[in-house]
Amino acid sequence: MARALSADSITLSIPHAKAYHGVARLVVGGLAARLALSYEHLEDLQLALESVLESDRYVDGDEVTVLLVVGSDSVVMEIGPLDPVALRESLDDAADGAISLARLLSTFVEEVSLEERGGRHRLRLEKRVPLTRPEPREPV
Amino acid sequence: MTAAEAGSDRELLRRYHEGGDLEAREQLIERHLPLVRSLARRYANRGEQLEDLVQVGSIGLIKAIDRFDVERGVELTTYATPNIIGEIKRHFRDKGWSIRVPRGLQELNVRLSQLLEGLTLELGRSPTIPELAEAAGVEEEEVLEALESGQAYATVSLSAPAGHGEDGELDPLESLGEVEHEYEVSEHRAVLAPGLDVLDERERVIIHLRFWEGLTQSQIAARVGISQMHVSRLIRRALEKVREEIGSGRGSPEPRT
Repeated sequence: MARALSADSITLSIPHAKAYHGVARLVVGGLAARLALSYEHLEDLQLALESVLESDRYVDGDEVTVLLVVGSDSVVMEIGPLDPVALRESLDDAADGAISLARLLSTFVEEVSLEERGGRHRLRLEKRVPLTRPEPREPV
Repeated sequence: MTAAEAGSDRELLRRYHEGGDLEAREQLIERHLPLVRSLARRYANRGEQLEDLVQVGSIGLIKAIDRFDVERGVELTTYATPNIIGEIKRHFRDKGWSIRVPRGLQELNVRLSQLLEGLTLELGRSPTIPELAEAAGVEEEEVLEALESGQAYATVSLSAPAGHGEDGELDPLESLGEVEHEYEVSEHRAVLAPGLDVLDERERVIIHLRFWEGLTQSQIAARVGISQMHVSRLIRRALEKVREEIGSGRGSPEPRT
C-alpha cells in the first residue's frame, strides 16, 4: 500500500560506486516530486549531489550516506562520510577562473558547510525552495 | 569540383542507372569518398572513430548514388551531402542510448523534453514533476525514471554534429563564435582556467553562463535557443569531462602553498 510521506527526513546509504549514484538521484527525484519542486530545483539538487559523489576525491570509504531533510522553506542534503582535507581544499578554492566544487555548489544551493560528528565529516547543503507539503496519496 | 567533373558525374550516373554499369557506380563512390571523409571529420572526436564514421557515411553516399534521379537538375554532391550526414546522424542516434534503456523510456524522455519547454513557457516557471507527469499522462515515477534514463543517453549523441542540434535543426550553438564576442576578454579567459580547456567551445559557453553569469538552465536554453534538457545534458557532460581531466591530473591546479 502506498503511504504518504510522513517523515521530514530520508536516509539513504549506498555503496560508493557510480552504478548506485542513480539510486540516490532517484530518491532525490522522488522527494522533489512529493514536494512539488520545480524541475530546475530538482536539477540543482541532483547536480549538487553528483558534484560530490562522482568525484573520487571526496567520499571517504566504500559506502556513502545521503540524508535528506525537509525544512520549512528548504531541503537540506547531508552527504558523508567525506575526506575533510580534500573537501576543504576544494571548498576554499576561490580562484576566479576555476570551476571548483565551491563554485558549483554555490550555484546549486544557498548554503554549504562542512560538519563533523563523531570524527566523521559530512557536507551539509541547503537549498531554499518554495515548499508545498505533500498530501496523502490515494492507496493503490 | 569543376563543371567538367560534374558533367562527368552525370555521365557516370547515366551509365549506372540506364545501363547498369557497376564500374561507373564504383567510380562515383571512389570519387566522392573525400566528401564523405570531410563530412565525417566534422563528427569525429565525439566518441566515434573517424574511420567508422567514414564507413557509415559511405552508406549514405551509396544510397544517394543508387537513388539519384538523373533527370533532376541537381548535382550529385548536393543530393548526397544530406544523405551522408543523415546516415552519420542516424548512427549517432542509434548508438546514443544505452541498450539497457527500454524504448518506451527513451520516447518518454524525448516527450518530456518537449513538454518541459512548453510548460515552462505556459507557466512562466519551471514545471514540477507532477505537472510534467500530468501533461505526459504518466505517473510521477515514470517521469523520474525517464529523466534518470536520460543519464544513459551517451554523451556522444549530445555532441550533436557540428552545425546541427539533437533534433537535426541548425544548432544555434554553432554560432557561439559570434556570441562569444559579447563577452569580455577577461571572462573568456576565466573559462579557460585549469580543467576547462578540455571543453569544447559550446560547453565552455554553457558553463560560463551557468556558473559565472548565474543563469538558470531555462534562461540559458532561451538565450542560446536549445532545449532545457539539452542544456542539462551539456552541463552534465562538461562537468564530467572536467572531473575526468582534473582526476587525471592534467587539469590540476598548481599545488597550494
